[in-house]
Amino acid sequence: MRISTNTIYQSGISKISQLQSEQVKLQQQISTGRRIASPSDDPVGSARALEVSHAQSINAKFADTRQTAQLKLNTIESSLTSLTSMMISTQSSLVSAGNATLSDQERQFIATELSGTLEAMIGLANTKDAAGNYLYAGFKTDTKPFVANASGASYAGDSNSQLLQVDTQRQMAINVTGDNVFQAGGNDIFATISNLVTLLNTPLTAANQAAFSAGISTGIGSMQTGLDNVLNVRAAVGSKLNELDTLDTAGADRDLQYSKSLSELQDLDYASALSDLSKNQTIMEAAQKSFVATTSLSLFDFI
Amino acid sequence: MASNILSIGKSALAAAQVGISTTGHNIANASTPGYSRQVVVQAAAQSQNFGYGYVGQGTEIAGVNRVYNDILAAQAVRSQATSAGINAYQTQMSTINDMLSNPAAGLNPAMSDFFGSMQDLSANPSDTATRQSMLSYTQSLANRFQSTNNRLNEIRDGVNAQLTSSIGLVNVYAKQIASLNDTIEKAVSANGNTPNDLLDQRDQLVLELSKQIKTTVVPQGQGSYNIYIGNGMPLVVGKDTFSLVPAASPTDPSRVEVAYQTSGKTTVLGANSLPGGAIGGLLQFRAESLDTIQNQIGQLATVLAETFNAQHSQGLDKNGNPGGPLFSIPNPTVNANSNNSGPTTIPSNATPAVVSSKVEDARALTASDYRLEYDGTNYKITRLSDLSAFPPFSSLPQTVDGVSFKIDSGSMLAGDNFLIKPTQNAAALFKVAITNPDKLAVGGPALTSSEGAGNTGTGTITALVAGSGYAASPLSAPFTMTYNTLPSAGLSFTPSQTVVVTSGAISTTYAPGDLVPYTNGATITIANSSFTLSGTLSDGDNFTVAPNTSGAPGDNRNGLLLAGLQSEKTLNGGKNSYSDAFGQLVNGVGNKTRELNVLSTSEAQVLEQITAAVQSESGVNLDEEATNLIRYQQAYQAAGKMMQIASQLFDVLLQLGN
Repeated sequence: MRISTNTIYQSGISKISQLQSEQVKLQQQISTGRRIASPSDDPVGSARALEVSHAQSINAKFADTRQTAQLKLNTIESSLTSLTSMMISTQSSLVSAGNATLSDQERQFIATELSGTLEAMIGLANTKDAAGNYLYAGFKTDTKPFVANASGASYAGDSNSQLLQVDTQRQMAINVTGDNVFQAGGNDIFATISNLVTLLNTPLTAANQAAFSAGISTGIGSMQTGLDNVLNVRAAVGSKLNELDTLDTAGADRDLQYSKSLSELQDLDYASALSDLSKNQTIMEAAQKSFVATTSLSLFDFI
Repeated sequence: MASNILSIGKSALAAAQVGISTTGHNIANASTPGYSRQVVVQAAAQSQNFGYGYVGQGTEIAGVNRVYNDILAAQAVRSQATSAGINAYQTQMSTINDMLSNPAAGLNPAMSDFFGSMQDLSANPSDTATRQSMLSYTQSLANRFQSTNNRLNEIRDGVNAQLTSSIGLVNVYAKQIASLNDTIEKAVSANGNTPNDLLDQRDQLVLELSKQIKTTVVPQGQGSYNIYIGNGMPLVVGKDTFSLVPAASPTDPSRVEVAYQTSGKTTVLGANSLPGGAIGGLLQFRAESLDTIQNQIGQLATVLAETFNAQHSQGLDKNGNPGGPLFSIPNPTVNANSNNSGPTTIPSNATPAVVSSKVEDARALTASDYRLEYDGTNYKITRLSDLSAFPPFSSLPQTVDGVSFKIDSGSMLAGDNFLIKPTQNAAALFKVAITNPDKLAVGGPALTSSEGAGNTGTGTITALVAGSGYAASPLSAPFTMTYNTLPSAGLSFTPSQTVVVTSGAISTTYAPGDLVPYTNGATITIANSSFTLSGTLSDGDNFTVAPNTSGAPGDNRNGLLLAGLQSEKTLNGGKNSYSDAFGQLVNGVGNKTRELNVLSTSEAQVLEQITAAVQSESGVNLDEEATNLIRYQQAYQAAGKMMQIASQLFDVLLQLGN
């Protein structure tokens, strides 16, 4: 076949420039560490990588939300722990108050102690979380949920549960409303203690002896019911914290899997890229040398 | 006899000279684009009969021809057009591909951040800082939509500019070819010889022309070319030319189309009639890819805005007021065809139709454009992405694919048509409608319903929805519906108000105070809210719908529902979530770019092969020319020698007399 001089140059240049563009591409992959530089490099892979990184970011967001949930539930748990010990000490005070050998003055000491406990409990019921929201007020987080009055305290919050999306399919209530903790099932702890204070402040006579004993035993019973309820609430909070831990572990697992898939989809296989690069270099050198060798031959050199 | 030898020598000398200058011309033009090597056609001169036989009279030059294969040349022209078309398409597509190549800059991260901040807000509904941050992420989502769309608009402007300059080139080439036609024709008719270098120039112009537009050459008359473009429109006929002009699309003034001009008449050519060449590639890119991609992004913006707004309206803001729209999104663009009837057309139309369009159901929205046309009896709506026509409608308004079509004023005459683009400009005008973070409606619901305590039937209220206008005029007080069987069965409303009952696709309006018949499962719309009442009602049953006035800072119920939209399948009739839709878009762009890369490489190879074949035949080989140079040099020397011998022979004769 007859070859024109133009063709010799043209084909030499086009081959070399093709090799150069491959070289640049490999170099770009090696310097970024990514196999896919733009969607056209692997349309399916890049769409898949988008899906995976999207899922990963949602997963990470759930982990954030779980932290918020944990913080709130832990705050509730610690305030309920204090409440539990207060209630237990109240009970033991009540048992000793029931002792008929105590003088009126000694009962008044206990009454003073109990009214102190009452104030402390109301204070506890009005605990705020880290963000300054009342813990036991339902949705009315800016309203003091319990206001002390003559017969204990009245509830000013609502009975709504604040739910959080802690995982794809799980919404978890992360609050406990005050009426469910302190006044569950009509058994009002504050009213009970307030009544007991009044009872203990009343001097004991033969006429009210029976009423006194009945009052103390009702009080002990009511405190026990209240304590059982608080323990139930604590158990529920505890199991939620437990569940959050489990979800966290599963979330972390998923995160790891997502990272692994992303790496498989996007990351460069360095060994093969580097070997491609050196292969390309060899071909390039050969192409350049043969181009120079071919073009340096000219009949004009001999005329 | 000697004079004859001398003249034979002279003819050989002259032929060798022509040979050397032609070789020199070839060497000089070895790298001239489009140059075909020239060869000297030498023939023996007419010999003379001397009785004893014919004696040769030397040589003569029959002609100087160019080595040219018109079949290969035609192939090169065709391949050039195809290759240039794919290259133009591929170059444009690559810019979009590159735009999407940075995973951190796409729409997905902005959407993830936006929904992430929504979840944060659900966890801390009363926190002002979280509200502010949610609003900032909302703003940056809007910015991302706008900037993505701006980039696409820049590409669109680039296509317009390139089409205009390509059209200019086509016209320039056409004029040059026509003038060469004229010169060549004159030269050929003057002496019968072809002006080789002019032919090369003209062939090169044809090749350049085919880079811009698909070109067909038909040789005509005495060496003249007729040039046809696209699907056979004449561009050059002899020394006359027709021209292409850039024209605004009749249905979209911002869009440059290619128009063909003949005797004062301008016809806009569609992408289909102009395949190949840079012009064909650009038109194809715009029609197939750019429009689709921009529409898909607009669809995503519209659906996100509409679904989010609808859910946002169901909630209560920090101050306990119903949520207004969070995003503002434009109505579909409606472009009247510039050839539609008007007061000055024949037939005239004193009140040309003004058509409006609205997205009624974002979830049913497609990424297509629509054409609305009137044939004198019926209105026809065509979805342009797949050219599927909906059954003709005898009247408007109508809703198709979630988009309503309505004549606001005036009327259409037969042949009038409108182009409706529900999504193309949506991303450009995707904006955040609120600036006060307290207005984020995280609490809720805005409306509540209850059943009368003494109800004995099984009736229930479901799907209680605050409409888009609810925030502007919310319910000020609860209203109650009571069902009575006597004197006649139906629902009465207290306080009385206008009621619309929708059952199937039929809506019936009842004036305030009218008894409303009960239809099980019908949707009842009142003021700015709607709900479904279903079940069996008994006499005296009553239901109350009330505005929720117990706004509380810790309420996050609507926030959870808003955040939940992220994974809901809201697009394309419930098939895709927002991020699915974006993933599909990226996948589509990647696939198309890859396809074009492969095509462009293979077309470039085809072109290279054809060019090599053309070059193999017509190209200059310097070694060959060097050989020719030596050959003609030797021929020249030999001829000289011969003339020297003739002279010596003559000398012999002259010396005879001495």
